[in-house]
Amino acid sequence: MRISRRSFAQGAGSLAALGVMGRSARVLGQTSDELNILCWEGYNTDDVLGPFRDLHPGATVRAESGTSDPDMINRLRAGESNVWHLINVNQPWARAQLYPEGLILPLDQERFMPYFERMTPPYNGPYPLAIAPDGELIGMPQRYGPFSFVVNTDVISRDMAEDQGWNLFLDPALAGRYGILTYDNWNVMHMCITGGLNPFEPLDEAGFVTFRQIADQIFAGARLLTDDLVAMNTALINGEIDCYFTGGTYTASPARLDGLSNVRGITPRSGPINGKGGVVWAELTSVVNNPNASTLAPDFLEYVQAPDICKAVGFAEGTYNPVAQMADPDVLALWDEDELDAIQWDSLPEEMENSVEYDVVASYAELIEIYNAAKRERG
Amino acid sequence: MERLDGRLGFWSAGPIALMLTAFFLAPMVVIAAFSVMPQRVFEFTQMPDFSSYRVIFEQRIYMPLVWSLGMALVATLILFVICWPLAFAMAKVFKRFTLVVTIGVVMTLFVSENIRLFGWILTLMRGGLIEGHLRAWTGLSFESPLYDIPAIVFGLVYVYLPFMLFPLAQGISMVPDDARQAAVDLGASRWRVLWEIELPLAAPGIMVGGLLTFVLAAGAMAEAKLLGGQAVVVISDEIETAFTFGQNWPLGSALAILLIAIIGSLAVFAVSRLDLDALMGRKRS
Repeated sequence: MRISRRSFAQGAGSLAALGVMGRSARVLGQTSDELNILCWEGYNTDDVLGPFRDLHPGATVRAESGTSDPDMINRLRAGESNVWHLINVNQPWARAQLYPEGLILPLDQERFMPYFERMTPPYNGPYPLAIAPDGELIGMPQRYGPFSFVVNTDVISRDMAEDQGWNLFLDPALAGRYGILTYDNWNVMHMCITGGLNPFEPLDEAGFVTFRQIADQIFAGARLLTDDLVAMNTALINGEIDCYFTGGTYTASPARLDGLSNVRGITPRSGPINGKGGVVWAELTSVVNNPNASTLAPDFLEYVQAPDICKAVGFAEGTYNPVAQMADPDVLALWDEDELDAIQWDSLPEEMENSVEYDVVASYAELIEIYNAAKRERG
Repeated sequence: MERLDGRLGFWSAGPIALMLTAFFLAPMVVIAAFSVMPQRVFEFTQMPDFSSYRVIFEQRIYMPLVWSLGMALVATLILFVICWPLAFAMAKVFKRFTLVVTIGVVMTLFVSENIRLFGWILTLMRGGLIEGHLRAWTGLSFESPLYDIPAIVFGLVYVYLPFMLFPLAQGISMVPDDARQAAVDLGASRWRVLWEIELPLAAPGIMVGGLLTFVLAAGAMAEAKLLGGQAVVVISDEIETAFTFGQNWPLGSALAILLIAIIGSLAVFAVSRLDLDALMGRKRS
């Protein structure tokens, strides 16, 4: 049997139509006894979900933690938008992919805009990345943190690391003394910045060549690569490495809370993006365009604004992070001295000042290909 | 009567056939369909262009596949060599102690693979159980063996040992003691008995053990990520990257199809040459 372009397109169209019919059959559904949350770890803990379950005793409230933003977004694309009611991912994805692809829904501005007034800059105002180009509110920020690299300050001083910035990893003396945390989308961004490139603007051919050189050099000098922050911190603490590429409060905080305050997230003092070299992430939680919508989804977004729940989210098991609501004295009062030290509260304003927003990397498709080739051929 | 048997067989095979179609074949079809789609599309309503297969060879993305298959082969050979004496002892020497060994080996499977590998990191790392104690007692030190290719192979050997050991012991138990004794009586050396009696008669067990360990090791990822520090990128890691950070489902699917094709061909070849009934002791020829 010969398949022409036309007959293939017809067949594929029929399949797609079947899919659409399947979806439309469920479009009218709405539930108030079920809430499924796809999120980064923290929102799925008992400390966060328990009180909400108590408030809604008849409802089944379930949360599952993802392993990466793209992974969670893929799950919605693969049809799980029928399963999840809320999705919690880093800030650029909602505006750049989830909302344009119709995977999330706008929020009621009258209900949610007042919460931005209790948030720390730049999330008050409201936060520009929570607003779609059409003016709709598409997510609520909460956890955030500077994310550049991590050093053992017993070996490399904070001052020197901040001063040298990303050039630290190009120093031949450091070859074999650092690790790479394989949060690949972050590494692409950070390798651009290391090469003096702005990752958020499209790169030309010369930019790609520079990126490849930087990627080759950084991969060649790495002692280890892992996507496990515990394994990376363990290597740092035991002296296998002196620092690691890609990391910040999110990855350093578990070790710091254990008393290892020599593990420190570093934000460079300067860089190629309007003079800045650090990057800060913030999570946005959005309502999924689920055909069987849950009335509990917006209620949950409101519930996590309460001070004790803000603390539970910021200090969930695994990693510890500041939350945008800490501008509210009632929220801040819930953190003790050790906990504030774990999230590097002392240097947070300065680090935020030296950071730009995590955004979509303009030439990501080309860069991730180059990055993966360099990783594959390392050494 | 034969027709009735046939019909009963057909109906009793129905549920498992349906289940396999739904949960095994259907995902395979989806992966196969995605593998021929243009780069970076998220639906299979596009005109197939098979570009992922071209990209795999043009950009040498097959290298992780070569590394995975190579390390799996080395791990399988090492496992065969180290498991043979233990399997022989379990089948022919240990008697009741075999149960103790079996329980001991099976117990390791009750603990998550990642946790066991992390245990090895704490043992082998600089300042870990071995180097740390050596340094404290003698002042001597050595570089940690972690984060290199031998560490990955060590991880594969450690994790997949039970999958070689038990089929091998089963295979060796099929070797009749009479045949070995007859060979010795006729003047055969120990090596000749091994080469001409034990290895051929235990071949089904060797084949099953080899196949199991090779297939599992070829698709393994945790060993390279944890013990190996990704000194090389393995195929399952490359596939995961394509599906997640790479946002290139067709490339990930094409890599998966290549892996399935190679492993599948190997499995079909091995199973076609294997008499499972004889191995399970249900048939005597």
